[in-house]
Amino acid sequence: MIIKAVGLEHFYGHEHVLRGVDIEIHPGEFVAIVGESGSGKTTLLSIVSTLLRPTSGSVTYDGLALEKIDNINHFRRTHIGFVFQFHYLIGYLTLRENIALAALDTKKSDVLMQRLHIGGLSKRYSDEVSGGERQRAAIARALVNNPSVVFADEPTGNLDTQNALGVYELFKEFSREGTAFVVASHDPKIKDFADVIIEMEDGRVKSISRS
Amino acid sequence: MITALKALRRNRFKTALIFMSMTVSIAAIFLISAIAGGVVSMYSSMLKTDGDIIVTQKEIADTFFSDINNSLSLPISKLNGVKEVHSLIVGASPVDRLPIVAIYGVSDNRFDSYTLQEGNYPKAGEVILGAKIYETLKHPKSIHVSKKEYPVSGVFKSSIGFEDGGVVMPLSDGGELFHKSSSLFLISLSDLGNSAVVVDQINSMDKEIEAKTTDAFIDSYNQFKIIQTSSDVIGVMAFMMGILGIVSMMSMVVNDRKAEFGIMRSIGLSSWTIIGKLLSETLIIALISFGVAWGISEGILELIEHADKFQGYINGEITMAMLVKVFVVTIVMALFGTLMPAVYASRVDPMSLISKGNQ
Repeated sequence: MIIKAVGLEHFYGHEHVLRGVDIEIHPGEFVAIVGESGSGKTTLLSIVSTLLRPTSGSVTYDGLALEKIDNINHFRRTHIGFVFQFHYLIGYLTLRENIALAALDTKKSDVLMQRLHIGGLSKRYSDEVSGGERQRAAIARALVNNPSVVFADEPTGNLDTQNALGVYELFKEFSREGTAFVVASHDPKIKDFADVIIEMEDGRVKSISRS
Repeated sequence: MITALKALRRNRFKTALIFMSMTVSIAAIFLISAIAGGVVSMYSSMLKTDGDIIVTQKEIADTFFSDINNSLSLPISKLNGVKEVHSLIVGASPVDRLPIVAIYGVSDNRFDSYTLQEGNYPKAGEVILGAKIYETLKHPKSIHVSKKEYPVSGVFKSSIGFEDGGVVMPLSDGGELFHKSSSLFLISLSDLGNSAVVVDQINSMDKEIEAKTTDAFIDSYNQFKIIQTSSDVIGVMAFMMGILGIVSMMSMVVNDRKAEFGIMRSIGLSSWTIIGKLLSETLIIALISFGVAWGISEGILELIEHADKFQGYINGEITMAMLVKVFVVTIVMALFGTLMPAVYASRVDPMSLISKGNQ
């Protein structure tokens, strides 16, 4: 799926946070959106991930405009995965149940858990595993329906260096199989893994570099 | 189902509060319905005993205040189709240490309707006691009604609480006590199909009296309407309190679990799935609350029935029809109470998860 954003503008009240942003995301790309706090990277991520409607401008998914999508929930479930800074696993469900909750085919939960090295933790609850394992479970939940693109907002913000690198390696590994990853992050280490680096400044794209 | 149970277990405290709120409301509905139904049913049963037609003073609001001339009982008894006429005086008076007790002055032909457990039917100046009041007063040989002493000639058992906790005396003694010759006549017919004709004939005898079939009387009796309306109003209040309790607790639950609903929306679960999830949680609580409230209500009704203080006058019963009605009310209460918080949960903006991460 090719995502195209053209002329994105966004205001929070009187605050002009995005000022004419154009970007394109292609299948299998690992895209890092970097920049200072307040540069607009999270707003950009929220808009291209369908969570936020832009004040003006357009976003299309394989040519289909965001506002033309009939069932946004179904679209998210079948095409998009999310990973947040906090894992947001549901505390009363086991890791497997958390992943299965999102799954269209629950059998895929077990396969993914094995692949992400948390297969032995399927019956554990989120407060019984480490931060890295929790984030792996959150990534498995994002990937369980084989989405075209995964959006991640500061996914390593709460992880130590080793676990953070593990997360980037996973993103890289899955992107090679065709899933695009769009990651907003402060972490400079992400640049070592990303195929495309979009640098934001004052609501504008300052630069786009490809490795 | 298992997921819903897990969610309830994880939120034990608030689950317990919702459970208590629902249980109290449902028990209140059970109790008020059963007690009101019991009062109406007891008095109706009493009037229906040997009474196809009831004659009272015209347009009287309460049989306690009815005053009719007992001499009319003789011409009525001679009407075609009339099998028997019972004269009753219905009153209330302090008896010994009890502040208020139902007193019945009855014509001799009505004594047969009281099943004696011991002793004999009363002669002039004597009384028989219902088994309940006999126990409450510790098997007295005589009692004081107002200031007069009456020997107890016997004890009867009645399934009607008003009678079982009451005193029965000959009609003449009742008349002396309450200064009237009769409160009402209960008329049994040899042919029920003839009731309309008999009613018309009795009504034409005296413009001060009013005859109705007992069923028509019960349907139009103001006291029953007042009791039923009061019960309905209290029941509706309990229902509303239950809904408010659920709404407030579920709103807190939804607020506590905002991230959970946000993540559900972000992974593409539909609004209906989220609403259904919360409804299923409340329905589980509702089913348990219904069972517990039923048990509590049966226990309380049993206690009230046997409490000396109430003399058996409050004798509620939870019927199958009431169970079904309260069950439906419980489900509606759970659904209505949860709907608004559930809709709110289904609209939690997943953006809040991102915003929280950037705080």
